Amino acid sequence: MGASYLAVGWNRQKKIYDWFIFAFCALYLTTFIAVTALYNPDYTFETALIRSTATLAILLLHVILSIGPLTRINKKFLPLLYNRRHLGVTMFSVALIHGSFSMLQFHALGNVNPFVSLFTSNTQYNSVSQFPFQALGFFALVIFFLMAITSHDFWLHTLSPKIWKALHMFVYLAYFLVIMHVMLGVVQYETNPVLFVMVLAGAATLVTLHLVAGTKEVRKDNRIFKLKKEGFVYVCESQDVPDNCAKIFCIDKERIALFRFENKLYAIHNVCKHQGGPLGEGQIIDGCITCPWHGYQYLPQNGQSPPPFKEKVSTYIVTVEGSQVWLNPQPLPEGTERSGAAIIIPDKQIIENVQ
Amino acid sequence: MVISIVLILIVTYLACGLLFAIPFVIKGVDKIDEAANGGSIGFRIIIIPGAMVFWPLLLKKWIKQGGHKK
Repeated sequence: MGASYLAVGWNRQKKIYDWFIFAFCALYLTTFIAVTALYNPDYTFETALIRSTATLAILLLHVILSIGPLTRINKKFLPLLYNRRHLGVTMFSVALIHGSFSMLQFHALGNVNPFVSLFTSNTQYNSVSQFPFQALGFFALVIFFLMAITSHDFWLHTLSPKIWKALHMFVYLAYFLVIMHVMLGVVQYETNPVLFVMVLAGAATLVTLHLVAGTKEVRKDNRIFKLKKEGFVYVCESQDVPDNCAKIFCIDKERIALFRFENKLYAIHNVCKHQGGPLGEGQIIDGCITCPWHGYQYLPQNGQSPPPFKEKVSTYIVTVEGSQVWLNPQPLPEGTERSGAAIIIPDKQIIENVQ
Repeated sequence: MVISIVLILIVTYLACGLLFAIPFVIKGVDKIDEAANGGSIGFRIIIIPGAMVFWPLLLKKWIKQGGHKK
């Protein structure tokens, strides 16, 4: 979040993250090209580069698509989420190198425009073994391009979060195109089944992760809150909410995040104003609820971003009776200040109860 | 033949986008998003490819915002 836009909103953590990505990519490409030169001396540098960037881009794409479900399954993966957009732009850059060198090697040496050649040199669309798989990779690259050029927050505000999110959900179509690009390409060029098996294993892993995370979310959303009293519903015991973290409750189809901060409980709407990130999956950092997706922050007392920022989310009234936490699911206007509900049980006793 | 025509149309569209993007990143962006006021040069450069693609939408917003100012 920033008052005026910068090209990249770097902080120390993000710089470390980016340096790690850069070092990993450089090491991967160098190792791949060196091993290729050693074991397949017949391959040209261009071929080694095309193959190394292809495998690296696919690896990064799998990591990117795994991060969302992994963080829903286990909060320890949250740090990976903070800078996912940089990983996405890196993946696009690597895929662009792969695409550019492929165009140079396969389509730029004749007297036909390379883009025309891409679509006309092979038109066997009704054949599996001869399918023009390069066109699939091209369309996937176009989707990654659109995602990369709209990755800045300016585009989120300009296109609206709904359209921006819808555009970026096309990553799943791009993933499908990439898988088909690889599979149909492997059929035509590869005799070694290792790549084929790796891609299948990657796809199976992604599907499993999404199913597990989705099931967990549905189970959480379907919980029925039976105990009601004067507009309040019983949600949990006070010791169930970890310090500086939250529990998320779905009441009347609205997700509410209940945070514990300095032994008080605060409830706010779970959806971040920036990009719809799940605030309840974030933590309280420097006294602010911090969205796990891009670090947007809100004060627990009033759901407002600290000045000079202007984002606000709805807040809710919470009460604690004994150890029971009661929440009024009727949202207060965005940014409404209310005192937190003090936790009555001493911390020492909470620790004993947990143990 | 069809591919060539489609390519020419895309290139023309992007060329118009580039012509639009230059004044837009200098002046227009500040009109349609207040957070762009005082935005860095890096930010202005980084949005050029997007402006080339989404220029009709940005032009519409720019014109609309200009009308509001009056």
